[in-house]
Amino acid sequence: MSLEAPRPTAVGVADDGTVDYDALEDLLGEHVLGRESHVNAEAFVVRPDAVQDVLFALRDEAGFDHLSCVTAQEYEDRFESLYHLTKYDERTHEVGVVVPTSRDRPVSQTAEPVFRTADWHEREAYDLIGIEYEGHPDLRRILLPETWQGHPLGLDYHQDQPQIVPLSEHRNPLEADHVAPEDADTMFINIGPHHPATHGVLHLKAVLDGEQVVDVDPDIGYLHRCEEQMCQHSNYRYQIMPYPDRWDYASAGILNEWAYARAAEDLANIEVPAYAQVMRTFSAELCRIASHLLAVGTFALDVYGDFTAIFMYAMKDRETVQTILEDLTGQRMMFNYLRLGGVVWDLPEPRDDYLAKVRDFLDALPERLAEYDDLMTTNEIFQLRTVDTGVLDPDVAKQYGVTGPVARGSGIDYDLRRDDPYGYYPELDWSVVTQPDGDNFSRIQVRLGEVRQSGRIIGQCLDLLEDWPEDEREIQANVPRTLKPTADTEIYRAVEAAKGELGIYIRSDGTQNPARFKIRSPCFSNLQALPEIAEGELVPDLIATLGSLDIILGEVDR
Amino acid sequence: MSLVALQSVTPFPDAITKFLGLSGIGGQIVGALIGAFLVGNLLLIYSAIAGPWAKRKITAAFTDRIAVNRIGPFGLLIIVADAVRLMSKELIVPEGVDRPAWDLAPVILPFSALLGFAFIPLGSGAQLADPQNGLVFVFAIASISSLGVVMGGYASNNKYSLLGALRAVAMNLAYEIPLVVTAASVVLFTGTLQLSAIVQAQSAPLINLGPLTIPSWFALVNPFAFVLFLAANLAEVGRNPFDLSEAPNEIVAGYQTEYGSIYFVLFYLGEFLHIFLGGAIITALFLGGGSAPIAALNVVPGFIWFAIKMWGIFLFTQWCRSAVPRVRIDQMLEIGWKGLLALSFGNLVLTAVIVGVLA
Repeated sequence: MSLEAPRPTAVGVADDGTVDYDALEDLLGEHVLGRESHVNAEAFVVRPDAVQDVLFALRDEAGFDHLSCVTAQEYEDRFESLYHLTKYDERTHEVGVVVPTSRDRPVSQTAEPVFRTADWHEREAYDLIGIEYEGHPDLRRILLPETWQGHPLGLDYHQDQPQIVPLSEHRNPLEADHVAPEDADTMFINIGPHHPATHGVLHLKAVLDGEQVVDVDPDIGYLHRCEEQMCQHSNYRYQIMPYPDRWDYASAGILNEWAYARAAEDLANIEVPAYAQVMRTFSAELCRIASHLLAVGTFALDVYGDFTAIFMYAMKDRETVQTILEDLTGQRMMFNYLRLGGVVWDLPEPRDDYLAKVRDFLDALPERLAEYDDLMTTNEIFQLRTVDTGVLDPDVAKQYGVTGPVARGSGIDYDLRRDDPYGYYPELDWSVVTQPDGDNFSRIQVRLGEVRQSGRIIGQCLDLLEDWPEDEREIQANVPRTLKPTADTEIYRAVEAAKGELGIYIRSDGTQNPARFKIRSPCFSNLQALPEIAEGELVPDLIATLGSLDIILGEVDR
Repeated sequence: MSLVALQSVTPFPDAITKFLGLSGIGGQIVGALIGAFLVGNLLLIYSAIAGPWAKRKITAAFTDRIAVNRIGPFGLLIIVADAVRLMSKELIVPEGVDRPAWDLAPVILPFSALLGFAFIPLGSGAQLADPQNGLVFVFAIASISSLGVVMGGYASNNKYSLLGALRAVAMNLAYEIPLVVTAASVVLFTGTLQLSAIVQAQSAPLINLGPLTIPSWFALVNPFAFVLFLAANLAEVGRNPFDLSEAPNEIVAGYQTEYGSIYFVLFYLGEFLHIFLGGAIITALFLGGGSAPIAALNVVPGFIWFAIKMWGIFLFTQWCRSAVPRVRIDQMLEIGWKGLLALSFGNLVLTAVIVGVLA
């Protein structure tokens, strides 16, 4: 035995590779006020003024380098912030940090110095719940307008009371622009909310020096549709499932549905039959292809300008996928295909025709991808525009909780399909695509590579579906009509959605509606890294970077 | 009077005067006006076909679409529909624009492009004026359009427009010099700036292959200069990969963000006329003007050949627009100053040497 200190990441890891929560409790020592058992992990209750100490210890000593999500909620007797931590290297290692604060004075220490991603997450908690974070660099509302009164997810918020905003609050939002000093070298410019390249209603407040971006501040919330609240008002069994389609609405619906299905099934102990898992994997990967094709096509639009061949080709190929999904689910975008315990129905009849149709698409896919390579990745001007622009450093990416193709484009080998296995993925042969450079070019390469991998997965699913014995095609488990998970159970579960880690936190209170439903949107975290990437770049690269992050505002704002 | 009779050394307006049996200064003025009217309208018709219809059809062909096909044969009546639509829109004048500069800008663009055509030999003797230094005139007039762009961008009181105008100025400096220097290499060959003489010089046979005679078009004599000129011309007309001053998804159409209705039409008209002017200059300098590629085809009138070549260049710009990524502004300047400029001077020296040796 060496006398050297063990590797810091080893703290809290038991011999069998699982998390040793007792060791973590020892590490945190007197900070721990108590322990809670959530379905996904143990959580430590800590004092509001020890948040940073605890998170620093967990990050630096125990290797929990990924603040996946911050959930805030209000109880009858307290406010609570819940930090979901995990590791980029070992996704199954999870721990929660629960920070209760009193109802009279809901002030908690900010986690921003430890994880920069906490910045936006805590702003959202402040906005919707009303917890204040001491030491937060920029604690203002994020989803709702500055003039909003009350915190809508708080318990004493009056839903039906109209928002009365006095006239004085309607001051010119551009006022600050006009008081810029006369001798200023820089120019303030609003990119969006109506701008051809923001892919939705995103508002970037940018300060330019010539064409160079000095500072950029994304202003989100234009598409906030109270998705969390709507889910809290709906029952687990039937009413929530249609909503996930509306988060990332760019054909990624089934991937989103899976996030909810996974969380709710684990919460209520529902086993999904193997056949349904294959169906889910099959349909979800089709969604991933459609979503990535759209991302690649619109990125080409941002770099090429005008409606170019690539965009139209990508839309055309996506249309093929869209038709396949439509045949399967009956819907083009809002699939509503998954059910708790399985999927809603089997493949459409005639089954062989449908399978042949998908097979045709898969057979044509390599040729199509070769065409994208010809048009984009091997095009010299395209390389000139994208290589070494919009560089996202892996360390910065981890600080911002970046996931999905954006993280993998920065060389972070992190994919929940492999690292936190679910569905039928572990039985299939496929690989995670990463690129080391972290620039716009890498991110596009990753997406094109993932389309290829998804094609492989679908191909194997097709083989399985073809050979599956007819009398064993069980598409749904037996799930009670009224689902009431045990009171006070909490769960945070994520899946690899089109844009990254899409996590759902649910707390049940024994009724058939969730007491708290929190969505961890990958786009939300990815977009947060934009200022870090774009500062110092030229405006065209800012636009290209935004395109390569591939955000869907419906998912950012929820 | 047949078209063949127009193929004389008589200037086009004089030919019209003679045709109408007029004489004196009054007759010359009438002839000149009618000539200008004919040429101007021909170009306006070209632009009308190119803008609302051909551009859409060409882009659609590149991107696997169908495009306009609902009104009239092949959707051709979309030209009328678009004209009615655009002209019946309200002209919105934003607050704080700098008038009259804001109103002048959309006029300057088509004006400069149309005026340039006065010196172009359009084939079949259709050339309004043929001064000794016609080539210089054409370049001087064509670059006035940059003034229109800058005026529009600056006067619009819009930051995106300002950025677009600044880009236009920076680009103009970067590509105009290579453009003129490359054209100068043609002048070295011909020893004249007179455009009709330049076209004439290209009619001599380059290679005789039995019955086939390949004319000495400068595109064939000096393909290097031709390619350089084509590239610089893409920047001149502001099409991909050099459509930076518009760049809709970066700076929201740049200098023309604030223009709508008839002003928008004028800007677009100016752009298309400019593409045609660029095509016309290339045709005259490099593609033998109105002459047929092989002598046997000279039965087809020259102005048809000229139009075909001009439309060919238009097709080329649309092709680039559909297929080539836009470069960044700093990359554009680098290409202009470090690439095109150096190459064009190299080409000029090379041509001078060749001409010196041959002469």
